[in-house]
Amino acid sequence: MRKKCFSYIIAFLIIITLNFIVPRLLPGDPLSAIYGEEVLLKLSGETREYINSTYNLDRPVAIQYVLHVISIFRGNLGYSIYYKKPVIELVFSYIPYTIILMGLGMLISTALGIVLGIESGWRRGKRYDRFILFMMIFFSGFPAFFMGACFLIIFGVILDILPFQGAKTAYSGMAASGITFDFLRHLILPLLSLVFVFTPSSYLLTRNAMISSIKEPYILLAKAKGLKDIRIRYGHAGRNSLIPVATHTGVRLGTVMMTGTLFIEIIFSYPGMGTLIYNSILNRDYPVIQGSFLFVAVLVLLINFLMDISYVRLDPRIEYAY
Amino acid sequence: MLEIRNLNISYGSKKIIKDLSFELGSREIIAVVGESGTGKTTLALSIMGLLSQQSGDASVSGEILFGETDICRIREPDLRLLRWKRISMVFQNADNILNPTMTIYQQISELTGKNRDGSSIREMLATVSFPVSRINAYPHQLSIGERQKALVAMAYILKPDLVILDEPTSSLDPDARVKIISTIKKLSRDRAVLLVTHDLGTARSLSEKTMVLYGGDIVEMGPTEKIFSGPRHPYTRGLIRSYPGMDRTKDLQGIRGKAEFIETGCPFHPRCTQSIDICRLLKPVLKEYGGLKLACHRGGIIPMLEMRDIRKSYNKNNVLESVSFKIYEGETVGLLGKSGSGKTTLARIIMGLLEKDAGEVYLEEEPVKKWDAGFYSRVQMIFQDVRSSVSHRLNILDAVMEPLVIQKKVNRTDNITAVKKVLTEVELPSDENFLYGYPHHLSGGELQRVIIARALILSPRVLIADEPTSFLDPSIQAKVLKLLNRLQEDRGLGILFITHDPGVARKVSDRILRLDEGIIKNERLN
Repeated sequence: MRKKCFSYIIAFLIIITLNFIVPRLLPGDPLSAIYGEEVLLKLSGETREYINSTYNLDRPVAIQYVLHVISIFRGNLGYSIYYKKPVIELVFSYIPYTIILMGLGMLISTALGIVLGIESGWRRGKRYDRFILFMMIFFSGFPAFFMGACFLIIFGVILDILPFQGAKTAYSGMAASGITFDFLRHLILPLLSLVFVFTPSSYLLTRNAMISSIKEPYILLAKAKGLKDIRIRYGHAGRNSLIPVATHTGVRLGTVMMTGTLFIEIIFSYPGMGTLIYNSILNRDYPVIQGSFLFVAVLVLLINFLMDISYVRLDPRIEYAY
Repeated sequence: MLEIRNLNISYGSKKIIKDLSFELGSREIIAVVGESGTGKTTLALSIMGLLSQQSGDASVSGEILFGETDICRIREPDLRLLRWKRISMVFQNADNILNPTMTIYQQISELTGKNRDGSSIREMLATVSFPVSRINAYPHQLSIGERQKALVAMAYILKPDLVILDEPTSSLDPDARVKIISTIKKLSRDRAVLLVTHDLGTARSLSEKTMVLYGGDIVEMGPTEKIFSGPRHPYTRGLIRSYPGMDRTKDLQGIRGKAEFIETGCPFHPRCTQSIDICRLLKPVLKEYGGLKLACHRGGIIPMLEMRDIRKSYNKNNVLESVSFKIYEGETVGLLGKSGSGKTTLARIIMGLLEKDAGEVYLEEEPVKKWDAGFYSRVQMIFQDVRSSVSHRLNILDAVMEPLVIQKKVNRTDNITAVKKVLTEVELPSDENFLYGYPHHLSGGELQRVIIARALILSPRVLIADEPTSFLDPSIQAKVLKLLNRLQEDRGLGILFITHDPGVARKVSDRILRLDEGIIKNERLN
């Protein structure tokens, strides 16, 4: 476990370092990279020197790096040109939505995938299994943005029963309970899209794991023990099928789920990190992009770390693997 | 308690269990022994009603009556009520049968129910000498022996009426094995046990009755002690001979060939050294033979050669006074005695080289009236003095071929083929150089092999070996003895091994007879 923590610290340092190096590798000086060519043209020599010394750009690279790291730990990620706010403040106002959306999406889709996968694998080849399997394979072909667009058009536009923009109704002046309800109503469509996008892969994985689990000798023993069907299905076969699912979910979180969530946010104009990054790119708001990437990277790292800890609980044999 | 009637189990077209019937009393321990793949585990799983779980295409017919219920016919939910509470099982493969993600305690406590405290579980684990401090360990943290003990504890925790033990001791060291066997005995005092094993030691020390399974058929069944001390079926004897027991000094022998599933005839006939035409055509039924049940057309291992009351005296000097014994098929009888005790006289009488005064020699249960070509094609002898027992005027080919010529087999090409074959069998070269060489070109060991080859060329059923290795160096002697052992395994030779060396006798014999002053003084199993 100590080794594991150590490797996470190294990964974190690499992220910070990349975050430091990449802007400096861009053509031109950091100023033009951060503020853009047109900003630079209008600056007088004095102002430029003033900026350079304020941002320590005239000092050696090593010192700059140390100062960069220190400022990150102080929570100073720079200042947004477009929003006119410190980046850290911006990120903190957007990130909760992403965490809620992605967290719920992940939780619901994984739970749903596991339950359906266990039931499906247990009844391999039966009608129930064939039906679910067909549906899942059908939906697994849909990319996140397409799924989002479908839901938006069907429920938001054609049926017009659910809001499809933002996280709350503007200027509504509702009471506290009304606000919560409104927030949940806004959450439904993006969340539903995410669940549809994420569920098939955890379902397929659980089903596969289940099919090989039920052939294992310990299932024979469990049957011989005269345990209830449901206990064998979930307690023995299901429990052991979770191990590959957990590994897979951990790996996918960083890549598929994160990007999927960001796309869905943009489609539904949901005020999370996806929307923030999207707007910052449109507005060439480099400090925000840099800060957001740092946060997203750290978030992914954190989730992976939590998954790593949970494996040991899921599969006691892993303890020995380190 | 358990009664199995005409049970047939097949996987696809492969018949695993054929028409099996037996009964198990409520306090009886029956051992089912046999090689891997003879259907032992299949039988065990069918009693648990778990065959369909193990293999999708298993088809079962017949009845498995547990009390009043027929396990083949009740529905899954009713089976569930029977499992573990009434019938439990210790599975083989202790290395992977336990759930890897649950602790030992969890896996046992899901049987006893959550609300009971763990003291009964601890107690049971302690009884099987499982280290109780490790009760919360996961299977992978335990040795295979410890897992096996946990499995035994698990099987007895609900006090079932019937326990099926499938190789319960296979991963234990000898000390632990002895311990667990006595524990199992104690725990099984008032319940029925079906022990399925290939470990004859465990079967012998645990069970009262033994059932020998071959190719899905019972070939022999009876009281354990009787079966182990005097097996009647060639397969049972083969199994016992292959098993390294502490009390046996004879070299290990296997069973020729390998297990195959045979549709017609006796399942064992391709590997049996005494099979005849009927064994190939007709399946033998289980019949009573003196306290044992046996499925063999020949009534078990047949006596090849029998001496009844043989007497011989030279000038009123009694050399042999009433000598009687039997040599069974595939058996080596060591005849031990001092010089002058009448060993060679006896050998010569058997071979008809000397007139006996009284008594009868029986070959394959028929009295021998005359020592003719027919007799010598079935009984051959090898002599002590290798140099003088082969004519120095004959080359090796002619020397080995001589018995064939005497038996009036004159096709020389066939004969040469036969000679080459038998020389290969005794591990000698069969090229021209060797065939046309002369006896004085060969060493003592080689020459003794030539003599053995000459004796074997007629495919005899009995070999009389009179001090066959006493002129040989110990290292050569070892090779010749091993050769005889292997030939016996392949051909089922009955051997009378005459020697004055007790060490050699112990190494080669199934039984040892001591000849002293013309009578057999004592006989013991080896």
